[in-house]
Amino acid sequence: MNIQLYNITKRFGDVTANDGISLDIRAGEVVALLGENGAGKSTLMKMLFGLYPPDGGAILINDRETTIESPQKAMSLGIGMVFQQFNLVPALSVLDNLLLAYPKSPFWTFRRLFRTSPRKAVLTYLQELAPGLAPDTLVRDLSVGQRQLLELVKVLNLDAKVLILDEPTSVLPPQEAERLWGLIRKLAEAGRSVVLITHKMQDVMACAHRVVVMRAGRMVQTIDRKQCTESSLVSLMMGDSNQRSAIEVTPREAFANRPPRISIRDLHARHGAQSVENIRLDIAPGEILGVAGVSGNGQHLLADALVGLTPLARGEVIIDGYLLQSASRPPSTSGRVSYIPEQPAVNAVAADLSLTTNVALSHFRHLSFFPAWAPEEQLTRNIIQRYQVRPDNPALAAGQLSGGNLQKLVVGRELEGDKDLIVAAYPTMGLDAGAAHDIYQALFAKANEGAAVLWISEDLDDLMSYAHRIAVLQGGRISGIFDPRECDRLDIGRAMTGEPQPARTQRPPEQKPADPRVRAAS
Amino acid sequence: MEYFATELLTLLFAALRSATPVLAVVLGEAMTQRSGVINLGVEGQMLLGAMTGFAVASVTGDPWLGVMAACFAGIALSMVHAILVLGCGANQIASGVAVLILGGGLSAYYGTPFVGDKIDTLGNLNHTFVSDIPLLGQFLGPITPTVLITLLAIPAISIFLFRTRTGLRWRSTGESQDITRNLGHNPVHYQLAAIAFGGLMSGFAGAALAVDYTANWVEGMTAGRGLVAVGLVIVARWNPWYALPAALLFGASEALNLKLQSWGVNISPYLLATLPYMIPLSVLMLSYRGLRASGGGMPAGLSVVFQSAR
Repeated sequence: MNIQLYNITKRFGDVTANDGISLDIRAGEVVALLGENGAGKSTLMKMLFGLYPPDGGAILINDRETTIESPQKAMSLGIGMVFQQFNLVPALSVLDNLLLAYPKSPFWTFRRLFRTSPRKAVLTYLQELAPGLAPDTLVRDLSVGQRQLLELVKVLNLDAKVLILDEPTSVLPPQEAERLWGLIRKLAEAGRSVVLITHKMQDVMACAHRVVVMRAGRMVQTIDRKQCTESSLVSLMMGDSNQRSAIEVTPREAFANRPPRISIRDLHARHGAQSVENIRLDIAPGEILGVAGVSGNGQHLLADALVGLTPLARGEVIIDGYLLQSASRPPSTSGRVSYIPEQPAVNAVAADLSLTTNVALSHFRHLSFFPAWAPEEQLTRNIIQRYQVRPDNPALAAGQLSGGNLQKLVVGRELEGDKDLIVAAYPTMGLDAGAAHDIYQALFAKANEGAAVLWISEDLDDLMSYAHRIAVLQGGRISGIFDPRECDRLDIGRAMTGEPQPARTQRPPEQKPADPRVRAAS
Repeated sequence: MEYFATELLTLLFAALRSATPVLAVVLGEAMTQRSGVINLGVEGQMLLGAMTGFAVASVTGDPWLGVMAACFAGIALSMVHAILVLGCGANQIASGVAVLILGGGLSAYYGTPFVGDKIDTLGNLNHTFVSDIPLLGQFLGPITPTVLITLLAIPAISIFLFRTRTGLRWRSTGESQDITRNLGHNPVHYQLAAIAFGGLMSGFAGAALAVDYTANWVEGMTAGRGLVAVGLVIVARWNPWYALPAALLFGASEALNLKLQSWGVNISPYLLATLPYMIPLSVLMLSYRGLRASGGGMPAGLSVVFQSAR
């Protein structure tokens, strides 16, 4: 099946998300759509999948112009898409989830029938792609990688000839990403086409045949993968934004011998089914401690416990010799600690209040009984200007801003003033590259001023480039602490999934005598 | 010893008979909640069903016609909830309470002329082959058709819910409407069917109470059974099989209450009458601690009901 997108244009309000894009997708080929967040890659593919109608241009399937008005139509044409957010019901089994998506699913769903009768077809691809996965397993017990496989099986079950994968490796630990690359190559060899939406060079280099680089809604270039190098792709992808000022991070040696600013001692906390256990970490003033891990391994709970939103079951958190949190007393928030929670648009603003009020709320303890609003409004204007929050009216209700803009506002608010500890959970998630750059710059500047930063991220590349140390959370425990200069992605990946490290790294960096603080954390 | 066994079995079967209306409501409400909708109006639907069933049985002289009319009355009133919730996007709790009060008022108003009427009952298993079964015959005899129908509904619902395509989509609607919609199924269809089924079962429960169990109509005769059933759905973990022990808990405490009164226990009968409500409540509270961590099998979509205050 050949697909041609011809001169496709899509606008959202004043923003042109796709500007006259033409693209061929041929059978048996892996096309990588490469670009930064907000470059318009997903929008283009969502039009091919029938989620939005294009404002201009045409889609040709096997040389016939076709209107794809709904995902159902796309699926009937043999186009399947795996989204970043999975469409799986966690409380149901693998087989049930497959049946829900199966085009002509049988009326009776007795489990036994699917092992023997012709109905086995439902499970064919599952057995091929994940032979070890029992169909009776509940989806909530699956790892992220397994869930993604299941999504892929669902799409293959629709007999899809064209598979669109939206940032498939962003949630996977490195070794599972490698397995996925192998799978993509195999699918292409079997004659299917795969469109890989990504912003990661590794994805492109590992399995693409052709690379389509997009920037700010335009197609920059289409190149054969064999003719390009990583650095040539980076400059194509970034364009003029290459000239952004570099993000400065103080070298680690600058504070190697200073006493820790934050000591987390033997921290245990529990919330619902989630728990973190035995967390011991020391963070020096000015240090950026990255926290990596597959999502749902306790990152959220650790952050909440540190800033005083969840009571500790055991242990204590000490900040400059003062007890900040302890299991023996109720948790409390502090003006010296700032928190950028995940999904700030939901978790960190009151949607019905104005931006000024939302900014003032962060230091409400210091407000007078009749607050003076003029300085608060000035502060809000400063944040709006520095982080380019749009629309830039401080009197607007927060709910009227988009999630990305609220995120910038919350980051600006939390980085305001003197802070001893900054806990940032996925501060740049979903933002375009320019905004992410600004946020990193501001966050790390705070570290330069002496704050200890605990930075939770799922972007391993960013962690490796900017963090001084990377702690990996797995199953609520710290499964390893790495020096990004002395480890590779696979070491961290193994710690993320709890596999043992091979003999080569039997002498992990944390055992270096030069750094006594790190040893305490191992 | 023999006396004790007889007493126990009598109590058990008495419990089964008195639990039947509650069991029917638990089954219906569990199915409704499995689709992500809470209907607190079951008590009102039950009352309307009881009144309609009794009135039709009294006027036509055929109790079976009464049972069918009760089922329709339950469905009809549940459609008020469906229109408010699915059609107008009203808050489910508020809409449910409105239905509850509406059902109570309607049944009181239209039921007044029938208070004190005598009707034919559905009969029971006495004088059938069952009576000839040695030992058990005397206990099985008083079992009535509504008990049997309700008991048979358990495997039927269970097979439907867990072993068919429609049941699978029903459950996935309750877990997440968004995902179900993304998979190309319309969640509203399943929720509409679920509310109607809950109405049918609560109407039937009303008939089981008025036409079969007591053969009598009194205003407000359900005495909170419908609301207790909503609580028992949690004890039953939204599972039709667990609905039976959960409902028996209510039935047994009610039978025990009558038993204690007949033994002349020196406690105020008003206090004793709270037993059927106190015991399930305590079990609910006790089981809640253990259930909280796992969510207790609650359909994930239900939590949305409590989060949004639209």
